[in-house]
Amino acid sequence: MKFRAERSEFADAAMWALRTVGARATLPALSGVKLEVSGDRLSLSSTDLEIASELSVAVQADRDGMALVPGRLLGDVVRSLPNAAVSAEVDGDRLHLVCGRAQFALRLMPVEDFPALPQISEQAAIAVMKAEEFARTVAQVARASSTDDARPVLTGVSLEASAGSLTAAATDSYRLAVRTVPWDAGAETTALVPRRALDEARRSAEQLGAEVRIAIEPSQVTFTFGDRRLTSRLIEGKYPDYRQLIPVGFERRLAVDRAELMEVVRRVSVVGESNTTATPVTLHVTSDTVRVTAGSGEVGQAEESLPGTLEGEPIEIGFNPRYLSDGLDVAVSERVVLEFRDELKPAVLRPAPADDQDDSAKEQVADFLYLLMPVRL
Amino acid sequence: MMMQRPPEPILHVDMDAFYAAVESRDDPALAGVPVLVGGAGGRGVVASASYEARDYGIRSAMPMARARRLCPHAVVRPPRFDAYRQVSAQLLDLFRSVTPLVEPLSLDEAFLDVGGAVRLLGEPAQIGSHVRARIHAELGLRASVGVAPNKFLAKLCSGKAKPDGQLHLRAAEVDAYLLRLSVRDLWGVGEQTAAALDRFGLRTVADVRAVTETSLARIVGDAAAGQIHRLSRGQDARPVSPYEPAKGMSAEETFDRDIADPDLLRTEVLRLAEKVARRLRRGDVAARTVSLRLRYADFTTISRSRTLAVPTDQATAVHREVTALLDALRLKGAGVRLIGVRASNLVPSGAARQLDLLGDDRWSRLERAADVARTRFGEAALTRGALLDDDAPRSGDAAAAAEDWRSRREGDERPGSGAD
Repeated sequence: MKFRAERSEFADAAMWALRTVGARATLPALSGVKLEVSGDRLSLSSTDLEIASELSVAVQADRDGMALVPGRLLGDVVRSLPNAAVSAEVDGDRLHLVCGRAQFALRLMPVEDFPALPQISEQAAIAVMKAEEFARTVAQVARASSTDDARPVLTGVSLEASAGSLTAAATDSYRLAVRTVPWDAGAETTALVPRRALDEARRSAEQLGAEVRIAIEPSQVTFTFGDRRLTSRLIEGKYPDYRQLIPVGFERRLAVDRAELMEVVRRVSVVGESNTTATPVTLHVTSDTVRVTAGSGEVGQAEESLPGTLEGEPIEIGFNPRYLSDGLDVAVSERVVLEFRDELKPAVLRPAPADDQDDSAKEQVADFLYLLMPVRL
Repeated sequence: MMMQRPPEPILHVDMDAFYAAVESRDDPALAGVPVLVGGAGGRGVVASASYEARDYGIRSAMPMARARRLCPHAVVRPPRFDAYRQVSAQLLDLFRSVTPLVEPLSLDEAFLDVGGAVRLLGEPAQIGSHVRARIHAELGLRASVGVAPNKFLAKLCSGKAKPDGQLHLRAAEVDAYLLRLSVRDLWGVGEQTAAALDRFGLRTVADVRAVTETSLARIVGDAAAGQIHRLSRGQDARPVSPYEPAKGMSAEETFDRDIADPDLLRTEVLRLAEKVARRLRRGDVAARTVSLRLRYADFTTISRSRTLAVPTDQATAVHREVTALLDALRLKGAGVRLIGVRASNLVPSGAARQLDLLGDDRWSRLERAADVARTRFGEAALTRGALLDDDAPRSGDAAAAAEDWRSRREGDERPGSGAD
């Protein structure tokens, strides 16, 4: 294997492939990045057996072949390369890298040990989304998933495709985020995607822009960005039927400025005991005011009020400040509405369309919902 | 300007006939009537007796049957620990409004160091009267208070002041006061120690004061001798240390033969999780961290823990987390000698509770209902199906053999207990 490439292009490709390098000591081959030259393209790939990444770049290829390079070492090398073209050549069990006057001889790992990466099958349901839209959807939903792997299904994000729309949902059983977006693949299919894979895909979408092609198959999902591809295995298990958790109707409805409420919650929750469980913030909602209080006898108290419009009877309701802030953070609109039944039932947070927005913008805010369970005070 | 610390800064506040008094307060029909709180069944004992009942010679810890013979018209009530705990919490709040240095000894007594409160609230004796008046006015209950230079003397005084009294022992009078007392009044001197001293003719505090510490050590041992020596001189340097809640609760099981069957280990984890969760609920705390402790056949011991987003007192959740930790070990048939479950990073559970969207509250209600049933009908009343084989009542020999098969250890870890 022998090729020449632009330093920045090579470094960028290597760094992208490095993000899914495995750390498990039991399978050393997973700690490597596989380089393969075929025709005039160099492809790089890595996998930790849960997520795999693969990309290809155009290079000046002199000889086909492949090599497995220790991932961390490759990362350290490409980060430190001087600004000059890179030439690489395999010689025995070494990869010789020359860049300007710098030379490296990297010890290779046996490439036969590297697993074959999953491919997209012909039957996969494939849909295309704008990268920006995809990234925002993931950002809005994924945060509500659980980090507790004792309940594996909750560590994933549920994707449900049906004719014309894709619904992404995540819950850690204390809050639930649901977003529906237009979807151009017809087939009905579902997938439970590990949150980490979606976060990687979101980062790529943010970095690369343009479009993302999403292929959902029975045991894997693949996100393709031009010449780059992320494949993740799916989480097995039955996702909770979250639709039945979403209340129909409400008794009280509060409209409030999103940024202002977020700021107040952030300030007031400072008196919470961060080392134990977050002390709840209490919202005392009356017809035109939201008074937010927090604190305990041991640490201290805080309170602050802001204007808000309430339809319905006044209510006093407590929330974990982090869950509330998370919801406010991702409900992207100037104002939000909070719908309550009572102080022990889930509250629904939605973006509120501004009056002067056009219909498509209204539609966009209407398809996001964040349900949060209160704290019993 | 610093106020000088008063010579008698320690209060010991002790509620009078606490459980019985709460019962009488909550049911006016019991006013002036002999009231006994305790198990009414054949083997119940008196947990608390009103002063009216004590006139008949009834004392706490006396078998209920005997108490009823002494006073057939006494009203017997089952204990309502929730109610007592609630009053106890109100008491603590009241104490803490006087001084932050409050050390509860049990539900119905506490030490207060009021040395720093005299400028605001007056002399310690005045504070004592004030506390008693507030307990009566705000809680409708009576308390006795000892005011003294240290904890030992303060507790001694509250005992002598009962019922509904206050005794203030001035530093200058300590000696004269102590010399009149019996050795049994010294903290830590029980029946056996008193009997040992009695064989050498040492019956009063004055008697033991006349003997050297070395001589005392020959009679009762070094540790007890040191304590008797100091206490008989009215010396007690222990500070009032504000309550520190238990750091964690754990239960573990040592097998007599090594267990490799993962299903057996999981069942054991469920049983231990049940135990730990019940103790969490009994202590009104919830744990943020759960741990698995495991000792392999070769005595290598490991522990794994995880911290939860929301504290729990549910066996279901503890079991789920610990099982995940167990599965992550990939034991593959390795022999296990000991397995343990621990809950730590405790927070009060009563205060605020994050509700669960996915209906886990049903488990919570179920487990609490099971607690109630076990309290009423005994430990064997209710168990999980998965634990049935082991928990089913066994005839004598089999049960003894089963107990023999494993040795158990469990306990609440308190600061300084040296656990872990």
